[in-house]
Amino acid sequence: MPDWREIVSKGLSGLKLGAGEKEEVHAELAAHLEESYEVFCKEGLPEKEAVHRTFEQVADWQDLRRVFCKEGLPEKEAVHRTFEQVADWQDLRRKIFIAKRSGHPMQKRVQQLWTPGFLTMALSMIFLVTLQGLGFQARVVSWNGPRTTLLNLPWLLSLPFFGALGAYLSSRAGGSRRTVLLASTFPALALTGAFLSMFPIGFAMERIIGRRVGFSIVATTLLRDGIGWLLVPGAALLAGGVLVNLLFSGRTSSQSTAVG
Amino acid sequence: MIGAGIKRGTAELAILSVLEEGPLHGYEMARRIEEQTKGALRFTLAALYPMLYRMEQRGWIRGAWETSPSGRRKRCYRLTPAGKKKLSPLRKEWAELFGALKRLTKAAHA
Repeated sequence: MPDWREIVSKGLSGLKLGAGEKEEVHAELAAHLEESYEVFCKEGLPEKEAVHRTFEQVADWQDLRRVFCKEGLPEKEAVHRTFEQVADWQDLRRKIFIAKRSGHPMQKRVQQLWTPGFLTMALSMIFLVTLQGLGFQARVVSWNGPRTTLLNLPWLLSLPFFGALGAYLSSRAGGSRRTVLLASTFPALALTGAFLSMFPIGFAMERIIGRRVGFSIVATTLLRDGIGWLLVPGAALLAGGVLVNLLFSGRTSSQSTAVG
Repeated sequence: MIGAGIKRGTAELAILSVLEEGPLHGYEMARRIEEQTKGALRFTLAALYPMLYRMEQRGWIRGAWETSPSGRRKRCYRLTPAGKKKLSPLRKEWAELFGALKRLTKAAHA
């Protein structure tokens, strides 16, 4: 049996994709050819004919193969030489590259990350304000001796649901696992970014107006309480995101087993 | 045999339609389309995979690596909600087009 992986790798060697992405394409196409070859063999075709029929799926390679066979090359070598020269590989390489780089990256990012992320943030913030309005204030929790942190337990308990919502919306829009998890933890990440940006902003403002402003102090306080406002909420949001991710991948696996 | 231009146009519909029945990997998808169209639509590697990757980029389908009971790793594609949403108007458009062509050819023969 020909080494399909090697043949595909050679044929598509110039494919300008990232290493991981290229590897996936090679593996997928090789699996296709291998399965095709096996089905032809099961149908009772002799090996040579099965190889021929499988190759037909890439190009009309027969003429070239004949040329090489006439040159007295062994069948296996002729097949390899043929595939090296088949122009359709170039066509396939070009088509795959265009397809993989098609779509509107900005639009996709909006649908898969920004919209679910901002929605998750807006809803979780609205819920926090509502809770505070109803009298559910954050409470000081002591840990590790004198250390304390502010925690709003009802809000924290709601965060996995918001994280799950963000993950679900991102997943629906076709987001990758990484994007789905980023969308679910977006509120915590955005707040961390906002807090961190207060340092340079405070520094710049002090320089411009020529006197001290409290930005650094505020930011330091916020980061000190980061466990209650960033770390724990981030983990709660992530828990929801991971759950949605697991549910989705679990559903795909069970369906594929049925397909065989 | 259907011409190449029409085939290209209907390829998306064919892929979305077979995936509506359940997730499939590339080879199985090509085989099923060929069987169900009685050989009128045949996908070569060069036609199928660029089309799948493009549809995946558009968010209509999603591929994920899975291990079959035989231990072979395959990339299975399934329809996303966006793909399901796309399928219905696409079907309608093609049905209208073929209906119109049918009426036109009938009128020409009458």
